[in-house]
Amino acid sequence: MLSDRSPLSLRAAAIGGLLFLHLPILLIFLYAFTTEERSFQFPPPGLTTEWFGVAWNDRPDIWPPLWLSLKVAAIATSIALILGTLVAAAMTRTAFFGRDQISLLILLPIALPGVITGMALRSAFGIMDIPFSTWTIVLGHATFCIVIVYNNAVARLRRLSGGIMEASADLGANAFQTFRHVLLPNMGSALLAGGMLAFALSFDEVIVTIFTAGSGTDAKTLPIWMLDELIRPRQRPVTNVVAILVFAATFFPILAAYYLTRGGSETAGMGK
Amino acid sequence: MTSAVEFQNVSRHFGPVKAVDGVDLTIAEGSFFAMLGPSGSGKTTCLRLISGFEKPTGGAIRIFGEDVSATPPHLRNVNTVFQDYALFPHMNVRDNVAYGLMVKGMGRSQRHAKAEEMLALVKLDAYGDRKPAQLSGGQRQRVALARALVNEPRVLLLDEPLGALDLKLREAMQDELKALQMKLGLTFVFVTHDQHEALSMADSLAVFNEGRIAQIGTPQQIYDRPATRFVADFVGSSNVLPPELTRALGGPAEWASLRPEATRLAASGPVRGTVKALRYLGSGTRVVIEANGTEVAALVPAGQPVPEEGATTAFAFDPGALHLMGAN
Amino acid sequence: MTAPAILPARGLADRLTGLFWRHPRVLLALLLTPPLLWLGVVYLGSLAALLLQSFYAIDEFSGVVKEEFTLKTYGELLRPSNFDILVRTVIMAACVTLACAALAFPIAYYAARYARGHWKAAFYLGVMLPLWSSYLVKVYAWKLILAKEGIIGWAAERTHTSWIIDGLLSIPGLEGSSLSTSPLGTFAVFCYIWLPYMILPMQAALERVPTSMLEASADLGATRAQAFRTVVLPLALPGVIAGSIFTFSLTLGDYIIPQIIGNSANFIGMAVYQLQGTAGNIPLAAAFAVVPILIMLVYLALARRMGAFDAL
Repeated sequence: MLSDRSPLSLRAAAIGGLLFLHLPILLIFLYAFTTEERSFQFPPPGLTTEWFGVAWNDRPDIWPPLWLSLKVAAIATSIALILGTLVAAAMTRTAFFGRDQISLLILLPIALPGVITGMALRSAFGIMDIPFSTWTIVLGHATFCIVIVYNNAVARLRRLSGGIMEASADLGANAFQTFRHVLLPNMGSALLAGGMLAFALSFDEVIVTIFTAGSGTDAKTLPIWMLDELIRPRQRPVTNVVAILVFAATFFPILAAYYLTRGGSETAGMGK
Repeated sequence: MTSAVEFQNVSRHFGPVKAVDGVDLTIAEGSFFAMLGPSGSGKTTCLRLISGFEKPTGGAIRIFGEDVSATPPHLRNVNTVFQDYALFPHMNVRDNVAYGLMVKGMGRSQRHAKAEEMLALVKLDAYGDRKPAQLSGGQRQRVALARALVNEPRVLLLDEPLGALDLKLREAMQDELKALQMKLGLTFVFVTHDQHEALSMADSLAVFNEGRIAQIGTPQQIYDRPATRFVADFVGSSNVLPPELTRALGGPAEWASLRPEATRLAASGPVRGTVKALRYLGSGTRVVIEANGTEVAALVPAGQPVPEEGATTAFAFDPGALHLMGAN
Repeated sequence: MTAPAILPARGLADRLTGLFWRHPRVLLALLLTPPLLWLGVVYLGSLAALLLQSFYAIDEFSGVVKEEFTLKTYGELLRPSNFDILVRTVIMAACVTLACAALAFPIAYYAARYARGHWKAAFYLGVMLPLWSSYLVKVYAWKLILAKEGIIGWAAERTHTSWIIDGLLSIPGLEGSSLSTSPLGTFAVFCYIWLPYMILPMQAALERVPTSMLEASADLGATRAQAFRTVVLPLALPGVIAGSIFTFSLTLGDYIIPQIIGNSANFIGMAVYQLQGTAGNIPLAAAFAVVPILIMLVYLALARRMGAFDAL
């Protein structure tokens, strides 16, 4: 009989591993309160909350990137929601020619390293003389967000018994009524979860964005702003304040997505 | 009498698989019609052809005389009780039942009143506010029934509706369904793989085998006069006699069926066999005799002497009980 | 009066539903056209553009891209300075993958085999949240940790173990003034960032090992170590390979981490970034970007042969 108690060393290694994954992020919070702005001295020589005020009042350079990131994430998520749901609905139908190729095509933008997606888009913009703009950023983001929505939608559709769609038609509902009264209510939380994950992914994305944003100052998303601060730091704790904001903007949607889809085989996020 | 459903040489092929192959049948209005057969025999596909979830690859289907080849499921005034019930998980029981009325545009209070009426009919009046997940299997089955009946369909299709219930509940539901059908005078088309269910409930039934109808008739005809060996095998506990044995027993050299109730042990006869097994059934004992390599069951009524296993015995039968099935 | 057996269509919605029912391919086409147009045009189009660019070359004197087919740009990849970049990146990706597998195993094994109820959920979220939380924030956190004056330096000083770090930093190839400017730092951050991508598929694979199988091997007299080696490891292998697809591919393409942490030695991603940007050599950048695709195709073919896709 195998014991159901784990060996102490294994448990220690597992919990140690989890701590390893989480503790570094906590440091971000600590350094937002340090009084030392020119180095990453540990322990901080003193603690202060002034950087939150500084970020709010004295750093107008934070706001345009923040708005741009929100705007891009919102548009990219909306596009991904529509396209991802459409393709999921098509894929749960009976087998058709090219089905496997399509699922590969959806997966590809996230399966290949971001630098390839970025460079590919950059090459295309170059060849077609498309000037960089908010829309070139959105183009890239929506492309890799489709798979996030698709994964959530397809998992839910698979779990939904196909019978309820037939039952709806059987009871006299046309396709649009079935969509409105049966499909949407049952898909809602999965789509919301997918949308939140897509939003988090887009809001945080930097690798593809750098290739599709161009170099204009008005083309700076918040992650690009942060990257600049990492390479050429000034007022380091302010960067931490923004990092906390970015962290929160991804943390809470992920948590919400988890609770929205918990309990199924489809739990959100398995397929980033 | 009008026919509620009519199949004319209907086929449904999935590539090389002939799920339904050249089926002709007529279901009379107001009848309780059963489609019986093993799984994969095409009976469920036939039901789905009536509801419109499958389209025939050949032949014509008429519902009350109208060709439905261009009619999508939602415009067919036919409702289904699905095998897994397919209740809407996000709606309570009342809204589930009222769904068909809602999509047809009936107002809220009116459709809820109708739904409650229907729930009362299936004895679930107190359950309107519950979610399907909070109901037992038997209760879900009744909700599915109410949800279909509230639309006043011209034909009610039932796809193995009792399959998921335990034995006791299933027997009670058989009686209830039959009573309901008589009361409403509605045409019921009932798919099952359980021959007892089909025989006890249906006015007439079709036995399916490999996509074709092996026999169509009343339960009595099917039980007493099986048309093929398959039907005899599947439907009854009938003895199936190969041509040699039939001839040895005094008949022509043809396949035949012989019901155990009509078979009795005898001291002498043209064929003798060895007693292989005994099964006490309360009302009598079923004795299995092996004769000429074929097992033949006889029913010995209670009170009569029963041979021991391994004993040798002859057997006899009422002359009219031997039913010839021809070459097939 | 009884209702008719066939109800009349009540408008466009009913008629369209009928059309979809009679011709399911119409609906399929309607559903698929927008997403396929998007992915086909935007994404596949871009990949084609990438491939096309990589077969162009830049005119060495004018610095202008000549739009005619040549293999010259791919030839440039074999120049020692460029080839070094490829080798360095692949070695780093391999080291990171191995380290991630080792680090992930106890977590995945514990979560799959022992964690129950709330602990299971905690482990799941505990891996999920770092996986999804902001990439840049995580990299930034490590800049804080690895800085000379940061928490590791402080801890080493307090425990009088600074000599270990100094020793590591004096190993040829790993030199740096602090961990944050040494390749060691780059390696550590890669491991940290991609670790969750290894844990999840590994855990999924391990969860498919039935406990009864372990018990059976225990019944046959196997020690815990034997059962582990002969039963658990082989069954976990597809998960490890599935995870390695992520860690390997992500390391191959990353250009942010080596840019922020390490000795600015070039990696494929950085080369792509710099060549398309300041250097303006888009054909060579494109050629560099094609390399990870080729490496991953080979890797995926090998992984498929080892059954890794069942664990995805």
